[in-house]
Parts: sequence; C-alpha cells; structure tokens
Amino acid sequence: MNKQSRQAWTIAGLTAPAYIWLTITVLLPLTAMLYFSFLTATPMGGKEASFTLKHYIGFFQKRIYWYNAWRSIELGLYVTTCCLLLAYPAALGLAKVVKGRAREAIFLLIILPFWSNALVRTFSWTMVLRAPLDILYTYPAIVIGLVHAYLPYAILTIYVSLQSIDDSLIEASRSLGATRWQAFRRIMLPLSMPGVLAGVFLIFVPVIGSFMEPRILGGKQAIMLGPIIESQFTSIDNKPLGAALSFVMLAIVLIILGVSSPAIKPYLEKSS
Amino acid sequence: MNRLAKIYLGAVLLFLYLPILVMMAMAFNRSALYEMPFTFDLVWFKALMENERLLQASWNSVWIASINAVIATTLGTLAAYAFARYEFRLKRVLQLLLFPPITIPWLIIGTSMLIFFYWTGIGRGLHAILLGHVALSLPYVIVVVGARLRDMSVQLEEAAATLGATPQQAFRRVTLPILAPGVIAAALFAFAVSFDQFVISYFLAAPGTSTLPVEIFTAIRKGFTPEINAISTIIILVSMSLMLLVARNYKFGGER
Amino acid sequence: MSRVDVIGASKAYGALKALDNVSINFADGEFFGLLGPSGSGKTTLLRALAGFVDLDSGSISFDGERVESVPVHRRGIGMMFQSYALFPHLTVDENIAFGLDVRGAPKAEIEQRVQEMLALVRLPGLGGRKPKQLSGGQQQRVALARALITRPKVLLLDEPLGALDRRLRQEMQVELREIQRETGITAIFVTHDQEEALTLSDRIAIINDGRLMQTGKPQEVYEKPLTVFAAQFLGDSNIFRGSAVEGGLRLGDGTVIGTAGRCSGIAVVRPEKISVRADPETPRGNVLRGEVLQAVYTGASVTYRIRTAALGDVPLLAFAQNQSGELLAPGSKVVAAWDAGHTVPVEP
Repeated sequence: MNKQSRQAWTIAGLTAPAYIWLTITVLLPLTAMLYFSFLTATPMGGKEASFTLKHYIGFFQKRIYWYNAWRSIELGLYVTTCCLLLAYPAALGLAKVVKGRAREAIFLLIILPFWSNALVRTFSWTMVLRAPLDILYTYPAIVIGLVHAYLPYAILTIYVSLQSIDDSLIEASRSLGATRWQAFRRIMLPLSMPGVLAGVFLIFVPVIGSFMEPRILGGKQAIMLGPIIESQFTSIDNKPLGAALSFVMLAIVLIILGVSSPAIKPYLEKSS
Repeated sequence: MNRLAKIYLGAVLLFLYLPILVMMAMAFNRSALYEMPFTFDLVWFKALMENERLLQASWNSVWIASINAVIATTLGTLAAYAFARYEFRLKRVLQLLLFPPITIPWLIIGTSMLIFFYWTGIGRGLHAILLGHVALSLPYVIVVVGARLRDMSVQLEEAAATLGATPQQAFRRVTLPILAPGVIAAALFAFAVSFDQFVISYFLAAPGTSTLPVEIFTAIRKGFTPEINAISTIIILVSMSLMLLVARNYKFGGER
Repeated sequence: MSRVDVIGASKAYGALKALDNVSINFADGEFFGLLGPSGSGKTTLLRALAGFVDLDSGSISFDGERVESVPVHRRGIGMMFQSYALFPHLTVDENIAFGLDVRGAPKAEIEQRVQEMLALVRLPGLGGRKPKQLSGGQQQRVALARALITRPKVLLLDEPLGALDRRLRQEMQVELREIQRETGITAIFVTHDQEEALTLSDRIAIINDGRLMQTGKPQEVYEKPLTVFAAQFLGDSNIFRGSAVEGGLRLGDGTVIGTAGRCSGIAVVRPEKISVRADPETPRGNVLRGEVLQAVYTGASVTYRIRTAALGDVPLLAFAQNQSGELLAPGSKVVAAWDAGHTVPVEP
C-alpha cells in the first residue's frame, strides 16, 4: 500500500468512530424528524400515515403558532439585549481595568456558574423570586432566569475580543487628540463588534429554543414555541406536529445564522 | 476608574451567585417552606439519603457521565489528532459538522433523537441518554484536545521519527504524555456536560429511570420536596469543583 | 558516515516549484551547507533527505542505496531542529536515550552511551534536569547528543544556530565543527546566514527558487560566483554591466575595465578588493574616479559609497580596512582601484 492510501486509511480510522456516532445520534435523527414532519401521524404500531403538509401549513395559518413563535423571538431579543448591556461594561472592566491575579480570579468566578447545572441554577431562582420578590411565574421572571444563565457567555465573548485589541491603538488615538469617549466609540467599540456579535449568536439561538426555564420560572406565562414543541412530545403526543414546529424553529435559527454569519465568520476564523 | 470597574464587577458577581447562595443556605435551613429565622439543620440531607428515587437518579447520572467521559474523550481525541496533524479534503466539512450539536437548540436535538430512537427501536432509557450525551460532548472534547495539539509542536513528533520511533511509538511515548493535561481536561469537561445535561436526558428518559436533573425537574413540577435543595446544593458544588479542576489543569497545563 | 546522492529532485506544491531538478552529491564525512534566502527550497531539500517530504521525481541515495520510499523512522538519520524539539516531559538523560530506547537496546548499553554523549557535548552531570531548566546553548547540545547517539549515517541540521545570540553562536559553531570531525559523520545543514555557511562548511551550495545555483568550497564560491544572484547573496558586490571588449568590459561612460577571463556583459567586484585613496596618483589595475557619498565607520573597517561616472546613480561600494583610524569625508574626491583579476565575469 503506498503512502497516500495508507495515510487516507489512517485519517479515516481516526475520524470515523466519532463521526459515525454523530451521524447516528444527530444527523440521522434530524433527517428522521424532517420525514416525520410531513406525516399525518406517527407511523408505529400499525397506524397508517400518509404524506401531508398540514403541519407546516397549520403553522402559517393558525395565529396561535405565529404568536408563540413571535413570543420566542421576542424573548430572545429581550434576553440578548439585557445580556449585552450588562455584559459589555463587565467585560470592559475585566479586559482593560482590572489586572493580574484579580482579573484571573474574577474571570473564573464569572465563568463557573455558567458551567454548572443549568437546571439547578434556574431552580435556585425560584427561591429568590418567590419569597421576597414575588414575581415568580411572570414573564420578567423568565427573562431574569435566562439573562442569569447566559450573561457569563456574553461576558466571555466580549472579553475575548476586547482583550485582543492592542492597548497601543487606544493610546495612539488619545495621542491624536481623541477624548476617552471618542476613543471608545471610534476604536474600541467597532473592534469589539465580533465579540458582541458572537455573543448575540450564542445567546439568541438557545433562548429561542428554551423550554425548561420558561416552564419553571414562568408557569402559565410560558407561552412560547419551546414549551409548545415540548408538549407535542410529552403530554399531547402529536409527534409529527412537534417535528414540523421544530423545523420551523430550526428554520428561524438558520435564518438568523445566515443573516449574521458574514459578521461572525472573521471572528470565528481569528479565534480558531 | 478601577474602583468603578470593581464595583460593577462585584455587582455582576452578586447577581450571578445570589440565587445559588440562597439555595444553598435554604438547604441547611430547618424550615420546609423557607420561613425565617434561619435554623441550621441537616434534616434535608438526611431525608435525601432516604429518597430512593433521587439516589438512584444520582447514581445514574454519575455512571452515565463517567462512561460518557471515557467514550467521548477517546473518540474525540482521535478525531482531534486527525484534524491537527493531517490535511485532507473533507476536513472543512467534518469540522463544520461539529457545530450542529452545540448550535442547534437542544430541544430540537432531543426531540429528533426521541423520534429516531423510537422509530428504529433503540428506544428510551439510560443507553439512549448515553448515546445523546456523547454526541453533545464530542465537539467540546475535540476543541479542547485540538487546542492543546496545536500548541504542541509537530516537530516533537518529527524528532521522534528521526530517532527511529514508529508512528505508534511516537504517539505513545511523545504525543500522549504531552497531551495528557488536555485530555484530562477534556474528560472532566465531558463528565460535567453529561452530568449537568437536562434537555436531552428529559426526552430520552424512560419512565422510572432517569438522571438527576430530570428527577429534579419532575419534582419541581409536581410540587416540591425540600430535599431538592439539598441535592441541588451538592450538584452545584460538584459541577463547580469539576470546572475548577478543568480550569486549573488546562490553563496552567503544559509541563506538570 | 555515508555518502548522500541527490539526483534530479523535484517537488511542487500546486503551481509553486519548491525544488526544480536539483542534483547534489554530499561526500562521506563532509560538513555541507545549504545556503539560500527564505523560500528558496533549501529546507524542502533537507526535509526530503529526512523523509518528511516526498519528492515528485528524482532520487535520494545513502551510500548508493535508494531511500525515497523508506519512511523517516527507518532511514537512519539524525536531525537537529531549529527549535531543538526536546521532549518536555522527559529528562535530559531520557531525551538522549530515546533513540536507543525505541529500538529496545539493553539498559546497560543505553546508560553507557548516554554518558558518552553527555561527555561528547560537554554537559556532564545535567542528565537529571528537564529541558526547560536548561539554557538555549545547553538545550542545543542535548539535541545534538540525542541525534548522534544512534550513530546515524547522516546528520541533518535545520538552521541549528538561529536562536542563539551572537557570541553563543560563534562558540557553538566551533564546537559543532569539532564534534563533526571527531565523529566523522556526514552533516548537511540549512542556513540563510552566509557567515555561518562560510565558517562551518567544507562545501556549500547556493539554492534559489528551488534551483541549485552553485556548489563548491566556500572560498571558491565566494571568490568566483557564477551568477549575479550568487554574487549578491553571498557577500556584497558591485555589479558592472556593459559591452564585452577584448579582455574586459566597456562601461556606460566609456571606461574600460579589465576582467578575469572573458566576459559576456556582466562582471562583479567585491568591495573589500577595492582600495580607496585621496591622492591623485593613478594606481595600477582598474581605476575609477569619484566622490565619496557616504563613509560609514564600523570599527574594524570603513564602508565607502562612492559616486562614479561609470556606475552613474548606483554608488560604488568599497570596504577599507581601518588602518589609519581616519575616514575620508563625504565630498572628498577619491580614486578607487582594484586588480583586474578580481573582476569576476558572471551570468545574469
């Protein structure tokens, strides 16, 4: 066997196990769900199922689905905006003001909750929101819970891109006569955009797809696409409809991805 | 400016940790309904020891997370090695395929797995959950190990070759030992991802057997036992310690 | 301790020809320098000798035996990397022993040979340390010991002294040479530093754009470059272009200078061969009159840039040994002279 084909076999051997796993657990299921979304009923246990577009059409026709989809997107907007507004100053402080050991320690402290159990964190909010504040089971509760969950993510992405901005750029602009605010607005803000956009992308998508936080924190107020899809698979058991709605959500996500990707790509390539 | 930044960061940290600290405090409070005053008591932890469901679920979580760590780290390290040391046409495509598990909402991934496993007879249960968790952990493992491989100069492996080591010898004696901190970090990461995972586990759990997060969710929905506080406190301490370990190991990782 | 023969080696990366039909013979026991600018292909050639690069065409032989299809770990070479590539997780002893270890040599033998090597590179007693605890110079010696322990047929060095500061470089150059002589090993090294190439090598080859420009002893190549590139890359030179006449070259302004041998239109003169004087007396040999544009004092010598009618806008470069301790000031009228035998005809 010559060197070329030997190398090809090696590469195949190294990557195949992981990717076969991914195919079986992610790619094939997604395809299967796509198939299901066009069926009238779940084709198991002797039930007959035929091809139909009614679930998709239903989404476009029934107001309730539109409304829920909009509520999901709206939630995404609120959470993302709050996260970015709160995260930017924090990231700025970390990247440019606090130095040395303190910076490392604070950074670690900020990231830690993010990597701990999301469910438990959400649950912990029920304590606080119930007793003194009494806003549990309201829309703001959902927003607070989600902002809490994703704030570290936003701080992380903005921090990384701020860090990569050379201090000498700011100094140069100051030496040319720019005020602090001008230096920030004209130099730092634009250069940190990749981090901001990465944050938007990384927060918006999961928030649209969330159902656990809305249910736990919002109760009856959890009128969003996520919980609706979830119930198609549990209490209501209309899997084809759930599948169709899932793909609608996926389409929404992909559209967002497509729209924001030109802005994201340079950032992704730089950090890889 | 420094003061302002520190104050703001302090506020952010307060926001991030407040609910967690409150929850942990309540786990040690005797009252079942969060009534003040605060009386220190381990009653809920004791009750936890008797809660069969929660204990079983905890054990399931640990067990699955461990196996997940082993499988995901092995598969991921091999793939990461291929990406770091070879150039080939499908590389870009394969790297792109790592994105779906982390960018597509887990709700969709979970429901599609449910449909597919249901349809193909794989069914629900702990084995299904394991299948799902490995898929989610793989991208993280590949990124973590990949970064460490990139830092490690390929000249080290080349040097080993010039000294007469076969590719396998070089991998075993040079690559793997130097890679070790990264691999360990990736394994801890994978463990944490699986241990904390809720959405996928929720859809793939069979009635009767589930993982800890799913149990907690059900308990919350049903009306609520204070043991949840206790177990949640334990979980969050475990997760955070794991992550601290990863950060220490990985960040200062290199020569031990 | 091998002869290495490269015949017609070619390697292309897409449209880029990294190696273009290169043929060189490296004699047994020779210290050979591959010299060239970055991207010239010298490193590609070295890596092809090691086995990291597969040639598109051509052959490589060690002692007459073809090795192009032999994988790296079976070629019996030793290699020193620019970054030393010491295994960070192993001690110095373990690093050096590695080559014997993977061959399954008996422990006693390994220990003995490691001690031999440590003595050879003059690092006794440091065996227990880790690479990061060593200085740059020490790390390099470990790398050398590690490469030599298996008694390879050929030692390949990739810009081995690049990372060292000047004095350390010079020390290491001397030691490297001595060790090579002691062991009698054939050593081929790659460098872009001409001084290094001239000091270390028995013979050198100048490579540019994937092609072999010139081979020979350092002195030969330096004193008699074959091409303008060789003349400019190795050392400095003054380039004279004109029309060929009997025994010389007629320059743009009509001046005729004598050349060593027949010239087809271009000739070069090394700056150190030119004497610069202020007195108006006409010296023997090729003579150009001009005015000093710039005089740079570099301690042991003075570098003059002289404006001449013959060269027009391009200044004449001359190195004068600093015997008197005084410079000729810019603006002074001077006479530059050199022996016709030092006017070397070259190809473009």
